[in-house]
Amino acid sequence: MGERLSTNHSGDFMALLRARGLWREPEAVPAGQARAPVQEVHGTTVIALKYRDGVLNVGDRRATAANAIMYDRAEKILPLDDYTLIAIAGSYARAMEIVRYLQHSFKYYARTQLQEMSLEGKLAEVSRALAGNLSMALQGIGMFIPVVSAYDLDRGEGRIFFYDGMGARFESVEFGAAGSGSERIRGVFDYILKTKGPFHEMTLEEALRECLLLLDIAADLDSATAGIEKVLPIARAVTAEGILEITEEQLAEIKKSLKL
Amino acid sequence: MVYTPYDFNESVRHRTEYIEERLRDGSPVAGISFDGGVLLLTLRRTQRKIFEIYDRLMFAGLGNQSDLEIIRVGAIDFAHQEGYARSPDDVTIQRVVGFAISPGIKRAFGDVLNAPFVVRALFAEMGRTPEEDLFYTLNYDGEFVSLNWAAAVAGTPEAEEQMVRQLVPEDADGVPDLQTALRRALRAWAAGRLWAIDAHLEEEGAESLTDERIETFLREQLQDLQVEAAILDRFTKRERKFRLLKEEEIRPVLPGE
Repeated sequence: MGERLSTNHSGDFMALLRARGLWREPEAVPAGQARAPVQEVHGTTVIALKYRDGVLNVGDRRATAANAIMYDRAEKILPLDDYTLIAIAGSYARAMEIVRYLQHSFKYYARTQLQEMSLEGKLAEVSRALAGNLSMALQGIGMFIPVVSAYDLDRGEGRIFFYDGMGARFESVEFGAAGSGSERIRGVFDYILKTKGPFHEMTLEEALRECLLLLDIAADLDSATAGIEKVLPIARAVTAEGILEITEEQLAEIKKSLKL
Repeated sequence: MVYTPYDFNESVRHRTEYIEERLRDGSPVAGISFDGGVLLLTLRRTQRKIFEIYDRLMFAGLGNQSDLEIIRVGAIDFAHQEGYARSPDDVTIQRVVGFAISPGIKRAFGDVLNAPFVVRALFAEMGRTPEEDLFYTLNYDGEFVSLNWAAAVAGTPEAEEQMVRQLVPEDADGVPDLQTALRRALRAWAAGRLWAIDAHLEEEGAESLTDERIETFLREQLQDLQVEAAILDRFTKRERKFRLLKEEEIRPVLPGE
């Protein structure tokens, strides 16, 4: 029993899964067969906005396959732990598996090492998981783009990070977004910033209102985004007190007040 | 030299004596269900003793520190690989203790050429209701027992019995709240420790464990030791249900100066 346990004292969950043969390594592309990734369809819109108490995430709920609408209640905003949210656009199956991996990886580290994984450590772990997904992504399958929102307890503020499919990480000052709808509404974010002031000074209600409006515009311009008409989006925020679930009632209230 | 069955029996007896001798002086651990979750409590010098294993699973024990560490990491490894490969709902106390941990401990105990585990461990699993909470006590020979409502590990099996008497008093009515659970767990700790180290108590009987005697003993012990208590919180919305209780949460149940 002892020798089976002596290999993994670093709290590295991937090392544990590899040692036990449980880590599903995507197969490498044989030389000569690699091709440029097909234009990935990331049909959806997910939005992360800073606000006064942290970061608000709102996600459209439509799931598509080519032109077909498969599902209109997908959850694309998920807690990784009490201070970290992930918003996903792209291959849902692969994303869900990696989210499950990340959730366990953070918990595993905290429980074995008796200290929380640092924010830097968590962000690097996301990069590593994306890089591990690369060979599949290069074949044009299983690619997804996450936006990670975290509450930085040391600095006492919310922070937003976005990634590319290879795992490169960038920090965003005010907002982040991913999915096919997000590209079409980029300008709207800047318009709000320049006319109404920075998002990080807004109250939760103000930030929610902007998010719903942004999602509604995205739905007008992007067929893979359902918007807010039929099914209300998923909304969660990350704050100093942990994850805040925003209820359907709260969303319905704000939707009513919008001039659509 | 021929190794005979007699030698085997003899060596097992020696091992048992050796282990129990070392366990006798250990700091007991009390476990009890309350309305808002599950509580584990012990007293310690400096080293932390109660640990989170998984979302609804925690553990503490007495004995050799490095043996406890092997069990702790083994349980965490198994719980997380199962939770990832299947689902968090498939990580249960009976799978972790019964299949992942106990067989290795039994093997180590039976293998006379290697050192056995010098431990008694207590695992606690939180259910949706107090009725569904489960405790498993695990012995140095790999034997384990499952219990509802309360459980204890201590220096001797007799001391453990005394602890359970304190944890589930005859006049108890209904599911305790956290304060009551803390109070009972603290009394149980004192009873278990006294019983294991004071040979006279056996002759005097359980009646000699009066309130006064327990309080005096606790006051003495608290000069060198501090209370460590942790809960799994049934109603929290947080991802992490496990929480070490703060000093100000424990202070109200400590005996007055």
